[in-house]
Amino acid sequence: MTSHVTRPDARFATSVSQVTIAALVMAIALYFLSSVISTSMIQEMLGLRRQIDARVPTFLIRICCLLVAIAAAFYAVTGLSMYKRNKLAWAPWLFLAVGLGFFIVYVIAPIFQSISYSFTRWNGLYDINGDWTGEWVGLQNYRVLFDDPNFYTSLKNNVLWLVLFMLAVPIGLFLALFLNQVVTGIRIYKSLFFFPFVISQVVVGLIFAWAYNPEFGLLSEIWSWFFCETKENIMGNLTRVCSVEPPSILGDEDSATYGIIAAGLWPQIAYCMILYLTGLNNVSSDQIEAGQLDGAKGWKMLWHVVLPQLKPATFIAIVVTVIGALRSFDMIATMTQGGPYGSSNVLAYYMYDQAVGEGVGRYGYGSAIATVLFLIMLVYISYFLLRMYQDEKEGS
Amino acid sequence: MSSRFTKLALGAAIGSLFSGGVLASDLVITFDDLNPDKKAAYEAAVEAFKAANPDINVTANNGDREAHKGTIRNALQNDAPDVITWYPGNRMGPFVDAGLFADISDLWASDPNLSTNFEAIKPTMSRDGKQWGVPYSYYQWGVYYRKDIYDKLGLTEPATWDELLSNCDALKEAGVTPFTIGTKFLWTAAGVFDYLNLRTNGYDVHNDLTAGKIKYTDDRIRNTFANWETMLDRCTFVSTHATMSWQDAISPFANGDAAMYVMGNFSVGQYKEAGLTDDQIDFFQFPEITPGLPRAEEAPADAFFIPANATNMENAKKFLAFVATPEVQGDWNKAIGQLPPNAAAEINTDDKFIVEGMETLSTAAGLAQFYDRDAPAAMAKAGMEGFQRFMLDPSTLDEVLEGLDKVQAEVYK
Repeated sequence: MTSHVTRPDARFATSVSQVTIAALVMAIALYFLSSVISTSMIQEMLGLRRQIDARVPTFLIRICCLLVAIAAAFYAVTGLSMYKRNKLAWAPWLFLAVGLGFFIVYVIAPIFQSISYSFTRWNGLYDINGDWTGEWVGLQNYRVLFDDPNFYTSLKNNVLWLVLFMLAVPIGLFLALFLNQVVTGIRIYKSLFFFPFVISQVVVGLIFAWAYNPEFGLLSEIWSWFFCETKENIMGNLTRVCSVEPPSILGDEDSATYGIIAAGLWPQIAYCMILYLTGLNNVSSDQIEAGQLDGAKGWKMLWHVVLPQLKPATFIAIVVTVIGALRSFDMIATMTQGGPYGSSNVLAYYMYDQAVGEGVGRYGYGSAIATVLFLIMLVYISYFLLRMYQDEKEGS
Repeated sequence: MSSRFTKLALGAAIGSLFSGGVLASDLVITFDDLNPDKKAAYEAAVEAFKAANPDINVTANNGDREAHKGTIRNALQNDAPDVITWYPGNRMGPFVDAGLFADISDLWASDPNLSTNFEAIKPTMSRDGKQWGVPYSYYQWGVYYRKDIYDKLGLTEPATWDELLSNCDALKEAGVTPFTIGTKFLWTAAGVFDYLNLRTNGYDVHNDLTAGKIKYTDDRIRNTFANWETMLDRCTFVSTHATMSWQDAISPFANGDAAMYVMGNFSVGQYKEAGLTDDQIDFFQFPEITPGLPRAEEAPADAFFIPANATNMENAKKFLAFVATPEVQGDWNKAIGQLPPNAAAEINTDDKFIVEGMETLSTAAGLAQFYDRDAPAAMAKAGMEGFQRFMLDPSTLDEVLEGLDKVQAEVYK
């Protein structure tokens, strides 16, 4: 009786495993093929004159081999009887597999790689045989780092960015409240206020750098109305003579960072404003009316009735502002390159500067800076993850 | 589509079993200057090489100079051309040490032109007693000044430190800022430092400093900074230099608000573009500071190298030997307004800056490459930031020098 029932099952299993094995073999073979194919092979195959022309076809062929290999691997896995028995448990992981694979290769692995480089002295080069040219130095990079005034300057600037960038949230709220009214053409005003957020960070950086320029910038023009006069110089050309020199905002170690933060705030305020404007749309008019009946006005209304309803908008505004403050890299790169003499660096830019920038090539040291930055971010990230996790738990 | 590529790939795999290697007569060159005159001179040289070697398929690539500094790492390790441009001196050090540049000492020894006409620059191209590249151009540094302002105030080219300082006094009296400079990108400050150190302490001490053998807090280097402080005090630099690039700094010079500029000869074209004529500008060597010291000069060179991964080594050497010939060196540098490293090459005698530059360099007791090429990149970066800081606030000197000692101890291990 029992043998009679199991027999078709067993036959089924063998036929599946044959296909599965074939698919697996194909996947592995294609994977190896994709790594074996070289530009010189393709150049010869296609009869190309120069090796450099074979780069694109080679890349395409390699990618296609890899994709087919992945597809075959999928087919093989779905053919496994183990999979068939636990479809529900396996399916999500199967769908996630490609994404997870890339995430591990391009995000998780580099984190550990970079932490391991931080214990070495390395100029970023492999020798002719592809061998790594660095050497293990233990904690030396960290010892140097904690004795490096530039590191503390960068760290201080990171904190300044985080704190001052938060101004975008209340200013954005104020603007949103101001613009949340019904006037002819209000949409035009709203879009004008939103405009800075649409401009690329690099352009914002350039505009502000020009405005700050003590020779020809907007600020120095205004300055010269008060403190300067135009005179003829020795060669008979017109020149500006000032009783008090115009401030060199980006050229002074005390003001450079503030100058860049102000430039960064401009688009960030617009962003917060738009978040609050959408939030204000959803404020329930019943509660406002109820508040009015109870005699709430002005600040009291704002604080006790409107703001609590804007809580989700505030949360998002704070999150994007923190992220914005940590993404200050573009602004610094366009406006000062960390100067003068490193006084407007933040950790991210200092790391780039030491490892990759201008061929400095202190990859080990740069990795040590990256590791410290990572640890700092980890505190912030785990706080938010924890909070989101708790919210979800409460919600369910 | 993927199956077609798979077939192709399989075909390729099989094909490669039967034949190997690449076409014998290719040459891929990677150059790094898109400025119109530089680009044209490079292309002209490549055309001349093609005409002389019709059997070689030349691929001439060209790219942005700053971007090249980043991409060369990848190019040398993965995707090497046959010839590539880079800087000699310490800047080639990391690539030589990692074995990524091919040793071409045999070419230097066997080619009579290379072995006889490049005596002055040979040490710069050498590391570990071997030669690694062939220079195609270099240029002088010095002080470019407004001759018309000097004439108006009855001043003459200073030969000594005291003369320079008294010229500065006269210029300030007349309401002219003596020196212009733009230190936003740092390296311009290194030009001033190099000259002050070469004139205060001489070539050997300067070399020892950039080679990491002398500390920055050494008394001799402190003397250099003391002279620099005098210069900052009496020969003021334009006050907003930290926000200006070297090109921005030309505008006060062109307007007559500033009278002198410590710069390289590549800047002459820009002065003329700003409206100055040959009669208005002139050049003098940075004046003597310590009397009797042999005069050394800055002369950064640009050179061609062969990556160790190059596919067509023989063609690459042929190209390097070709670029070194007096004819090519002469034509190339006439076109870009610089000096040929080949002593037998002709120069453009109509250009007074080139004539004066040739004289300056050919009589120099030693040639420095420039601070950011003589010192390793990590040291140079910290050093130049220190120079900028010192220029903005001389009272930070001790802090700057002690900081540089720390970096030095770390970088030269």
